Amino acid sequence: MEPAATSTTPRNETAEPLLVLSGVTKRFPGVLALDDVDLDVKAGELHVLFGENGAGKSTLINVISGTFPPTSGSFRFGGEEMAELTPHKARAIGISPVFQEFSLVPSLTVEENLFLGRERSAAGILDAGGMRRRARELIAELGFDLDPKARVDKLDRAHQQMAEIAKALLGKVRLLILDEPTASLTERETGRLFELIARLKSQGVGIIYVSHRMREIRALADRVTVLRDGRHIKTLDAATVTDSELVELMTGRKIDVLFPAITHRPGEVAIAVEKLATADGQVADVDFFARAGEITGVAGLVGCGKSELVRAIYGIEPIASGSVTLRGETVTALDPRSSLRRGVAYFPANRGVEGLALSRPIRENVSMAALDLGRYQRRGIIRRTAERSLIGPIMETLKLRPPNIERAVGNLSGGNRQKVMLGRAMARDLDIFLFDEPSVGIDVGAKVEVYEFIKRLVEAGAAVVVVSSELPEVLALSNRLYVMHHGRIAALLEGEAMTEQNVLSSFFEEEAREKAA
Amino acid sequence: MSTTATLPGGPGRQSGQDILNLVLTVGLLPVLMAIVIIGTSLMSPYFLGWMNVVNILRMASFLAIIACGQAMVIIAGGFDLSVGAVVALASVVTAKAMAAAASAIGGPDILAIVIGIAAGLGSGLAVGLFNGLCVARLKVSGFVVTLGTMSATAGIGLLLTNGIPVYGMPKGFVQAIGRSQILGFPLAIYIALAVVLAMAFVQRRTLFGRYVYAIGGNQEAAVVSGVSIRRHLVGTYVLSGGLAATVGILLTALVGSGQASLGGDAMMLQSIAAAVIGGVSLRGGIGRVEVVAVAALFLTILGNALNLLHIDSRLQPIFLGLIMVLAVALDEFSRRRMSRV
Amino acid sequence: MSDADLAAPAKPAAIDARGSRILQGTGWARQLALPIALVLLLAGFGLADDRVLTTYNLLNIAQQTSYLALFAMAQMVVILTRGFDLSLGPTVSMVSVAAALAMAGIGGADANGIVAVLAAIAAGFALAAACGLFNGVVVSILGVSPLVATLGSMNIAIGVATTISDGRPVQGVPAAFADLFYRGSILGLPIAIVIAILVGGVLAFVLSRTVFGRSLYIIGTNPQAAAVAGIPVKRLLVYAYVLCSALAALGALMMTARTGSGEPNLGGTLSLQSIAAAVVGGTSLAGGRGGVGSAALGALFITILSNGMNLTRIDGYVQMIVLGAIVILGVVLDRLRLDGR
Repeated sequence: MEPAATSTTPRNETAEPLLVLSGVTKRFPGVLALDDVDLDVKAGELHVLFGENGAGKSTLINVISGTFPPTSGSFRFGGEEMAELTPHKARAIGISPVFQEFSLVPSLTVEENLFLGRERSAAGILDAGGMRRRARELIAELGFDLDPKARVDKLDRAHQQMAEIAKALLGKVRLLILDEPTASLTERETGRLFELIARLKSQGVGIIYVSHRMREIRALADRVTVLRDGRHIKTLDAATVTDSELVELMTGRKIDVLFPAITHRPGEVAIAVEKLATADGQVADVDFFARAGEITGVAGLVGCGKSELVRAIYGIEPIASGSVTLRGETVTALDPRSSLRRGVAYFPANRGVEGLALSRPIRENVSMAALDLGRYQRRGIIRRTAERSLIGPIMETLKLRPPNIERAVGNLSGGNRQKVMLGRAMARDLDIFLFDEPSVGIDVGAKVEVYEFIKRLVEAGAAVVVVSSELPEVLALSNRLYVMHHGRIAALLEGEAMTEQNVLSSFFEEEAREKAA
Repeated sequence: MSTTATLPGGPGRQSGQDILNLVLTVGLLPVLMAIVIIGTSLMSPYFLGWMNVVNILRMASFLAIIACGQAMVIIAGGFDLSVGAVVALASVVTAKAMAAAASAIGGPDILAIVIGIAAGLGSGLAVGLFNGLCVARLKVSGFVVTLGTMSATAGIGLLLTNGIPVYGMPKGFVQAIGRSQILGFPLAIYIALAVVLAMAFVQRRTLFGRYVYAIGGNQEAAVVSGVSIRRHLVGTYVLSGGLAATVGILLTALVGSGQASLGGDAMMLQSIAAAVIGGVSLRGGIGRVEVVAVAALFLTILGNALNLLHIDSRLQPIFLGLIMVLAVALDEFSRRRMSRV
Repeated sequence: MSDADLAAPAKPAAIDARGSRILQGTGWARQLALPIALVLLLAGFGLADDRVLTTYNLLNIAQQTSYLALFAMAQMVVILTRGFDLSLGPTVSMVSVAAALAMAGIGGADANGIVAVLAAIAAGFALAAACGLFNGVVVSILGVSPLVATLGSMNIAIGVATTISDGRPVQGVPAAFADLFYRGSILGLPIAIVIAILVGGVLAFVLSRTVFGRSLYIIGTNPQAAAVAGIPVKRLLVYAYVLCSALAALGALMMTARTGSGEPNLGGTLSLQSIAAAVVGGTSLAGGRGGVGSAALGALFITILSNGMNLTRIDGYVQMIVLGAIVILGVVLDRLRLDGR
């Protein structure tokens, strides 16, 4: 289902657009997340926000939906100045955000979540019947396969996404904000969503749509605004812009410059996984191998199980069945400690949550995974001078700026935090590296350094697995690329076959197979 | 737990193990209760006697009322350690105010009684309000704040009385509230039933109940959905303080004097135990007051049975502690098994 | 695929950055705040009553502080890991009674000193280790919140203490025991002070210089990151709880030597006091922040406060209120420190 994007011309050309942001700046301590951004969205228009991770898209939609106020700049909606906007007020005036981080309460039902914060009630007593009828109506209208009485924590991610979208559309909506809404939807559900978007546009609803996918931008967008490093780069007419123009604006340089040329020399099989299934069901029946001296990529959408696959290999995701073989030795009872001893390192995607102890110094964060080694301790007592003299040079080679290893990690930028994680890999002898979204949340300069680091590892003979949602990244880095979909391997691409087109089409083939089954 | 029991099938697939877990958790309370009742009635002829049953129901009523408040606080993601001390404070304040009013006014008892009850309730609500404001405004852990107010409240109660029981309340109060019976059952039982029914209604059918679930279930989501967190958090603590004060007043009427030794740590612990055994999740967002009330009944029966079977009363805390840890461990176990989000 | 990484984690990072800026920027002021408060407190009490600032009383304060400091250090070890030990007080009672019973069992006051003392130490530490093991296993392996786990073991310990002692003080503590843990002195310093300083020194070394200590801080700061970095979180948590109970047991033996009998109520308010001391001293309930120095200072503060209140004849009930207020003040300060506002 492809709604005719070009047929919807903005209606009130003369009147002020629905949403006007001018000179919006948002400063977090130590981070300038938005720098003097202008944006306008007209009624009945679909406006795509395009940019890399960390470009400021999330901050921008959070400002628009009232999660936090801008540091400076003006924000007008429906011709009125918005001051002291709260999420509640935003909803009340028709700004409806659909975040990637769901705003659902897991222990409540779909219906209870739909009405959360705007229940129908009289004198504090809920009108349960009325809300149930409205919920059924809405879900039927949207064409979602969703049980209003089901508890949200019993739903899978796609159904939670539907509940989230339904929640956004319950009230009167004038501006709908969609942040990567199709990330966990199937093709059929995506089609439904696109139909719905077309209908909303024809009703004069303005839509802000965050997406990386060219196909969606082509199908839906009226205009595209490119953000980079918190700055507004350019707003373009979707009908005339080319793909390469967009990517160039997004990255600020030609794409092939960003990734280093890596020489892969595939050697022994370092990791072999057979019929692996995780206990949470996110990975099912996966066969996978990675060799020394090459980068093995794993691509897939959010929630496809690619992250769980490497986490299971490292030993932080319980395994239900199947086997993991490291350098020919079948390993049972995986856990991080023994994985590290076998030379396996894992770099989590969310460094703040799983990687770093923020209030502790860099030195401690770097040596954290190596304290069992005799280099750092003797009979349980830490050799502090040795620790300092080992960690200092490591962070120097990683170009930590400023080079003070006693600072708390919490004071560092995203790029420097990733360097601390990389430093951890150098603090002990390892030869299997599992990177989960290695470039998420860091700036372009730091990205290049991370890629260079990975290149050095591979060329020194290590086995590297890179899991990433960013297709250009895995395409450019990998020697072999697995594509995962709904917990299974949808394809293994090598050499010339590694193209964006092939990755995407393997999703759809898998989709078709699933539908047939 | 009952919430998980009444779940519709949903789109998910449930493995046999989940069903087993479901039965396990849902069945724990009734099964334990049946074992205790049948076992004790076989061993002690007094157990099912009318006097003993009434006594059990009365004691369970007190616990159930407090546990309802505690449950609401825990569902919202908090903790109220001060309930035991509030029982004592409310008892003392009620008795003092009532005695003072009775001697000052000298008029009809009813006026002094109303003044006393209002003062007692007021003291509980005030402690609840203080707890709530600390938790909601200053964002400090409810556990530690109420640990502090527990000590302070108990201190105030003792300070007011010097540890000596307060007499001088109108006889009408003791007769009307402490000793009166309807259809052979003491008033406290009806009050407890009313409280539990009202709270069950609040949980299911009111905005306050819904928001308490939402705040405990996912505070972030509640915030972005425009739910006022502070107001409802304060509400749960005030409710808990008010219900604890109610029990303080009822106990005062029963024993006929205001005592700073009423309630105390034992009652606080039992209220948490009742909530936890009654399926309230310490992670917040889950729990039903009617099940908590049943758990309160169970704990009271257990205590009574241990007494009748001449098991040293000093051993009783051990049972309470073990059952509590067991209940939470089971909850945790089933949560891990069933979690998919 | 989102830049949520920037928006969402930027928040805690921001708080942290601000927090540590405050720690660094005004670090000296913050570190001196408590000592200055201590001096003012002493001076104030000294003006109110001239017995306060005598050598005798100051030595007395130091000796009393030693006990509380041990318990505060014990509590601090688990608070570092985001835990709590509510069973600390009852553990003290339990150890006291068990040690006295062991000595009485061997022959009471006439017994061979060394054998009796060894028996007391063995019995005390064995029970404490069992209690710590229970807490640690329930918290780390069963995943029960520290609060409920130690609330449960608190009940169990109370039950054990009162049952084995029959609720009465246990007599028959031999002189050798009192000599070792109470009456002795080294270089003119009472033994209690010497033990506290030694233990404090060793613990400070363990926390700052060993892999175990370092790991506790990391676990408390970010348990998930610790697990991903291969730190055996579960095992170390068990050790932390066992260490906490062992330190509590040492304090219990010392207090038993002082009273000369095994007291089933010895631990009474120690859980609360030890938490208060740790928190007031600056141990963060959010985990990962605190140390021996902060625990000792907190203990000193509370001891001076209660010593001064005793000497100036402030009512014991008022002291309860003050203790409660200090706990609340402590967490509020902790929160302000974290927020940096």
